[in-house]
Amino acid sequence: MIFALLLVHAVLLPALFHGLFTIVRNGHEEAFIDHTRIYTRVFADIFETSIVQETEAEIVAHLDSAVLGGRSIYATLQVADSLLISSLMESEDADKFTEDFAFGEHGDNVYFLSVPLEMAATVAVLKLGFDEEPTLLQIGDARQTLIYILLMYLLVSLALVVLLSTVLARPLKRLRRDSRKIASGDYTRKLSIESGFHEIKELSDDLETMRSTLVGVNARLQKEIVEREAAVAKQQDLEESLRHSQRLKSIGTLAGGVAHEFNNVLLPILMYAELSLEDLPADSSVRSKLEQILKLAKRAQGLSQQILTFGRQPGDTAKVPLDIVPVVEEAMSMVRALIPASIDIRVDVEKGIGHVLCDAAEIQQLVVNLCSNAYKSQRSGGGLISVSVAKTNVDRKFTEKHPKLRQGKHVLLKVTDTGEGMDSATIDRIFEPFFTTREVGKGTGLGLSVVHGIVVKHGGEIVVTSEPNRGATFDVYFPLTEMQALPDIEETKK
Amino acid sequence: MTRVIIIDDEEDICVVLKEVLERAGFEVEVASNGSDGMDLLRKQHADLVITDIIMPGKDGVETTYDIRMEFPNTKIIVISGGGNVSPMEYEPTAIKTTAYLASATKAGADLTLTKPFDRDEIVNAARRLTAH
Repeated sequence: MIFALLLVHAVLLPALFHGLFTIVRNGHEEAFIDHTRIYTRVFADIFETSIVQETEAEIVAHLDSAVLGGRSIYATLQVADSLLISSLMESEDADKFTEDFAFGEHGDNVYFLSVPLEMAATVAVLKLGFDEEPTLLQIGDARQTLIYILLMYLLVSLALVVLLSTVLARPLKRLRRDSRKIASGDYTRKLSIESGFHEIKELSDDLETMRSTLVGVNARLQKEIVEREAAVAKQQDLEESLRHSQRLKSIGTLAGGVAHEFNNVLLPILMYAELSLEDLPADSSVRSKLEQILKLAKRAQGLSQQILTFGRQPGDTAKVPLDIVPVVEEAMSMVRALIPASIDIRVDVEKGIGHVLCDAAEIQQLVVNLCSNAYKSQRSGGGLISVSVAKTNVDRKFTEKHPKLRQGKHVLLKVTDTGEGMDSATIDRIFEPFFTTREVGKGTGLGLSVVHGIVVKHGGEIVVTSEPNRGATFDVYFPLTEMQALPDIEETKK
Repeated sequence: MTRVIIIDDEEDICVVLKEVLERAGFEVEVASNGSDGMDLLRKQHADLVITDIIMPGKDGVETTYDIRMEFPNTKIIVISGGGNVSPMEYEPTAIKTTAYLASATKAGADLTLTKPFDRDEIVNAARRLTAH
């Protein structure tokens, strides 16, 4: 800014100086010339009226007065052929006379004027020389003053520029610094610049409005991103869950179809075996073999039944509202009978939690199967199996992850073991029929499939949490019903 | 003698059930589909019809309905292979059997049984229904 100003002044000031100085100088010169002309005229008038009667001495005295008047330094009068010279000047000076037509001509610092006097008889010329020096000095002074004034002006304007740049540039610089910070991502910085210039203040305010709008928009965008990410995650969860249940469902359908065909084959085998046994004499050697066929066919029947349980859909059979606690307790007494005493079994049930629309036999089967699975996962002879039943509230967040459940009160049946646990790939397939991690012959791979079938049938959900060597937890959720338990038929009869 | 008609598209099942029921003292005839079964029934009255549920042509539910309309006194047992079989996913003739059994009951079946059942189960059921 200062440089710009200096540049402008470097061009403007000399021009200005030149112009002003020309005016001043011309003024002085014109004033000088006017004055000399008037002065000369006055003397010319005097000589015109008196010269005829006067003597030479008197004329010289007049010339002297013209010099003494302080205005002229040369005064001569040419009358005919004689030249009268003021006594106050050297006679040889009279030769210097060269008429000037403009101020400062001839470089002699003297302005020479000659006036012909109007007289009837004689020809006379009054010649006067005026000292130019005082005027030159005045012009010099004026020039000096002009230079001072312009220098002053330059200094003042420089000072003003410095001041202005401070007042203007500082807030602008701050504004710039703040905007840079905002640009680099610090949106929280408020733009508030105090300035005497309302334009700057307004600019700052406008920028601040822009910033706060940006902050708002940014926040909204951030929120949207978070929401979208959550939605995507939810979508993925749902897809995963859907894929999983679809897979189980199609496996169930396939297994069900196979079981269906299988049953059509099993039925004649069973019955032919029975009929044959009936036909055989008591001591036949074939009898034991036939009995074996019958036994195996019955085992196949059991398997087929389990497969069908897995493949069942909600609403397949009649369910009644029941307090699930006694059902689980009864199942646990069966479990205790089945599992060696070396396994510690802990049962923790919350009483009076309400009713679940269920099939008691199936719930028992579910408990037995889960406990049996927990037992089989124990590596050594010992270990702990905990079974608990409690009331729980399923919230929206939970239903988002487990879309099969609805919000509201549920029964949570939890079976935890201290066994070998499993990885997520295993958890993913654990409910598939015939999927087993155990040695061949040590499990059918149907137990948990049956559990899954029962859970689905009861409109519940099963959540498995496990890590290798960290045991496993099976959380089974059943929705609580508002319906009351039916009166016990046996008791009613009594 | 108490007359029983067995309707099943599985010939093996017809044959074995026939023998089982004959040994139990029933007079048994077999048909391989609903229409044939109806023809047999129209020719000679039967006390009990045991019909499979999933069959080509006239299926168990339809047959049950027709019998109930024409012969209100004939007892009906509907048997099925069990399982939830969707026509899209498994095979064209098989349908969700459990739901099917329920609709058979609605159509008028006196009893539904899921295969495989015991010899005693079917004999006892037949005896109970026909008071044989």
